[in-house]
Amino acid sequence: MAGKSLPAVNEIDREFWEGAAKGELRLQRCRACGKMQFFPRIACTDCLSGDLEWVPVSGKGKVHTFSLCRVPRNRAFMDEVPIYVAEVELDEGVRMVTRIVGDDRDQVTLGAPVTVTFMETEDPDIKLPVFELA
Amino acid sequence: MLRKKVCLVGYGSTEYSRKSDRPLLSYYAEAMQNAMAQTGLTKKEINGFSMVTQASPDYSPYVAEQLGLELDWVLNGDCGGAGAVCAIRRAADAIEAGYLDVAFIVAGNAFDKNVSHQRVLEYQRANYVDVYGYGGPNTLFALVQRRHMEEYGTTLEQIGKIAVSQRFNAGPNPQALLRTPMTIEDYLNSRLISDPIRLFDCVMPCSGGECVVVASEERAKQITDKPIYLVTDAEKIGFQASNMLPDKTVTGMSVVGEHLFSEMSRDNIDLLAIYDDYPIAVMMQLEDLGYCAKGQGGPFVDDHDLTFAGDFPVNTGGGEISVGQAGLAGGMLHVVEALRQLRGEAGERQVNAAQTALVTGIGWLSYARNLNTTAALILERRS
Ligand SMILES: [Zn+2]
Repeated sequence: MAGKSLPAVNEIDREFWEGAAKGELRLQRCRACGKMQFFPRIACTDCLSGDLEWVPVSGKGKVHTFSLCRVPRNRAFMDEVPIYVAEVELDEGVRMVTRIVGDDRDQVTLGAPVTVTFMETEDPDIKLPVFELA
Repeated sequence: MLRKKVCLVGYGSTEYSRKSDRPLLSYYAEAMQNAMAQTGLTKKEINGFSMVTQASPDYSPYVAEQLGLELDWVLNGDCGGAGAVCAIRRAADAIEAGYLDVAFIVAGNAFDKNVSHQRVLEYQRANYVDVYGYGGPNTLFALVQRRHMEEYGTTLEQIGKIAVSQRFNAGPNPQALLRTPMTIEDYLNSRLISDPIRLFDCVMPCSGGECVVVASEERAKQITDKPIYLVTDAEKIGFQASNMLPDKTVTGMSVVGEHLFSEMSRDNIDLLAIYDDYPIAVMMQLEDLGYCAKGQGGPFVDDHDLTFAGDFPVNTGGGEISVGQAGLAGGMLHVVEALRQLRGEAGERQVNAAQTALVTGIGWLSYARNLNTTAALILERRS
């Protein structure tokens, strides 16, 4: 049986995953217009400049929405259900699809403040940014 | 823009099945055969062809070759659930430009063992969503639905009323796979799949096919005495695409609705065929099309009877959640249901004096947003 899904790291997002492996959340910022964006792309979604830099961010934000997933698309995740899939709005003004983790995750509400943490995966080189209630 | 000289002149459907090893091409062929029987058109009169599917890796010219079609226009519809509506728009453009005069547009799905269905997911979904153990569109719509419920106070009873009404509509529809009556209690008690999305919010995947025939007005008058005119149509792709903090409860249908209703009134619409992969998607589209204010979809649903006999008929054949979703034929199902109603061929579920119908198609959810593709048509019977 296939394992849990892992990112296929590529030239666009290598810096994101390298940062995550070191416990650092990084976002793309456009050097031309200053826009922050997520997910990582080849160009700025405002001005189409390819001159993008990677900046470490606070890892703080609030829960925009969430769902308790009981039937994951990849059944290898069944041992973790219900999975608290969420969208977190970072203080830097982007939203990320992620997970809420921690023993108190069942207390999650919309607007709850959260802080990033990094979750081990089946690949020792890959850590996933996830969030805990602050 | 108002269309002047493009008609929908016929349709063909196949049976739907939850378990079948028929190949996709056989569904295409059967749906087309049925449309040919209805219209009396022969193979050599078909000079345009489009297929709308996710289940086949084939290219449209190769499929056309398989079906023995010699063509002046071909298209692989690629807008997900909006693909059927978008393909009709493209065919209409080409007909108005004079490239062809009769297009067959097929859509379908099959659990064909000979074809791989595991398409490579786009990078965004693979690297930034799937890794968290999400539940596909069930989770993505759950993230939207929770926002709608919390921001506007929308209740499960209001969302469930859409599913219950559509199940009622499916009762007299022999094509529907789910026809047993359903109560709001059945809906509320169905098991959670990705909270707050539950089982009876979800479409059931199945095999099946649909075909519609689009023709120039001149040919339409030769082909049928019941031509259904394409009045106006619009689409929005990538709504809020560059906004990192979009309003998750608004879809591109808000822009589509402005185009559609700039030249005609919403009150002229006799029935709505609203793409319904989830009831919350129907509610958001009703809001975005301007039938009520954003967030007022719940009270709007409370105030109206959505059945085929009601004051606001929606998805009169049961929609995808009761008929079954044969892949991207789910989008074509709504076009075919509108044609049945406007031609007076809907049998027990016929909407009284149905003259004008609105058909929508929606597809794909963008990262941390709402729908990527949204499109709609207004169809009219002219006597
Ligand atoms: Zn820029």
